[in-house]
Amino acid sequence: MIRLQNVSKNYGGRPALVNVSLHIALGDFAFLVGPSGAGKSTLMRLLYREEVPTSGNVFIGGANLNRLQKHQIPLLRRRLGIIFQDYKLLPSQTIFANVAYVLRALGVAEAEVVKRVNSALCVVNLDNKGDLYPDELSGGEQQRVGIARAIVNGPPVLLADEPTGNLDPATSLEIVQLLERISARGTTVLISTHDQPIVNAMRKRVISLRQGEIVSDVDSGLYEMESEN
Amino acid sequence: MRQLRIFFRILVETLIGLKQSGWSNWLVISILTIALTIFGGVLQLTFTLKNVVSTWGSHLEISAYLKDTYDPKSVAQAVAKIPEVQFVEIVPKEAAWQEMQTTFKVASLDNPLPNTLHIKVSSPEAVDPVASRLKLLPAVENVRYPMKVAQQINQFRHFLEIAGFVVTGALTAATLTVIGNTIHLVIESRQREIEILSLMGVSPSYIRSPLILQGATYGAAAAVLAISVLWIIHINLDPYISEQLVALAPLLSHNNIYSLMQTFLAILLLGVAVGAGGGFWTSGRYIKI
Repeated sequence: MIRLQNVSKNYGGRPALVNVSLHIALGDFAFLVGPSGAGKSTLMRLLYREEVPTSGNVFIGGANLNRLQKHQIPLLRRRLGIIFQDYKLLPSQTIFANVAYVLRALGVAEAEVVKRVNSALCVVNLDNKGDLYPDELSGGEQQRVGIARAIVNGPPVLLADEPTGNLDPATSLEIVQLLERISARGTTVLISTHDQPIVNAMRKRVISLRQGEIVSDVDSGLYEMESEN
Repeated sequence: MRQLRIFFRILVETLIGLKQSGWSNWLVISILTIALTIFGGVLQLTFTLKNVVSTWGSHLEISAYLKDTYDPKSVAQAVAKIPEVQFVEIVPKEAAWQEMQTTFKVASLDNPLPNTLHIKVSSPEAVDPVASRLKLLPAVENVRYPMKVAQQINQFRHFLEIAGFVVTGALTAATLTVIGNTIHLVIESRQREIEILSLMGVSPSYIRSPLILQGATYGAAAAVLAISVLWIIHINLDPYISEQLVALAPLLSHNNIYSLMQTFLAILLLGVAVGAGGGFWTSGRYIKI
């Protein structure tokens, strides 16, 4: 589902990613770990085509992102669900409206919007909080709204950039377990994080980046912090 | 149906943008209204003068104002002998004064007007030579003819066009800057919405359309205000201008020389184009997909 072939990315001559090759299959669940500046965010941005590689190829579902025309980028992004560290919710809108926001912008019929939003809120266990505003929810609940918004369009791939960065350990584990449940239904999930306890608790595939290079890629792996030093 | 729903959402987003802009809306509309009023005023005036020039420029008439000590009939007979003269009409000073008193409701004074001859010549080429000959006659105090006035008006019109459009251009550039700043503020305040829409696969045209529509709304609102101002000016000034034109060239009828509808359409088109252009340019500059 996600494939990188010898991908390098430089910013003004400074390498952010160096010859990265990677394959994540449909329905896989993987952590992308590494210290700050390792290249995690750069890799994520390449996947949703906010950046283009300096060299190499990035594929999502067989489509080479390097060859995408500008007008095709929105079509790619509709096949991705993106989850952010700071949730990126609209404070002036209800939870329901936040999740429905993009569907309405895409011109989906209101009956279908209601159906899909209720279903997504049900998956994240917030089906009784649709009328509340983000400020009325805890951090963990706000991130679950972010997840509901990411899955409401039924994307085959979920990209989560530091989704537990603002949460306490117990809530972080809940969020990652929720993402694991979503993955179990056939969605490919890639989580960028440096939250060692969560990664080690899950015992899933762990792809470690250091200074822009993949230093390990292990199924049922651990996040070896000492390897960063 | 889907396109209709998207259009409705764009309208909703436009209204939200207008609401968020607050007092900035009025600043943009005020400046644009001033620019469009000046543009419309200059355009209307140049339309009018152009019509006057084209109407008068081809007129073959000369007005000769006579000294009081001469008999108009004998002067008319002498003038009629000039080969290029086709027709001479005497306008006695009493008749002219009575008409002026009726038209302008002037106070009772001694009649200051001279006896006048209205002379028609055979060809446009004959106007200047005949006028020159008339000026040499001892009975003639002054000579006036539309062709000469038309030439002077034409020179003034050229100056007015250049000056007017320079001022309009400068104000339009200022307006574009203000529109750009206002829409930039909207983009800043809606950064999160724009980011979400962009990353979730909503098309750039959808994201930019409300901002372009917001600019177009400014343009349309300013155009309506500018048209209203010009309409009020037209209603109040038109009778006065008509009288002046009749006084300047009595033999000419004051035709409907105004092209108000053309001017109003031009104001509306320019307003919407400037507004939408400002929104298009700013959204293209600050929204990166």
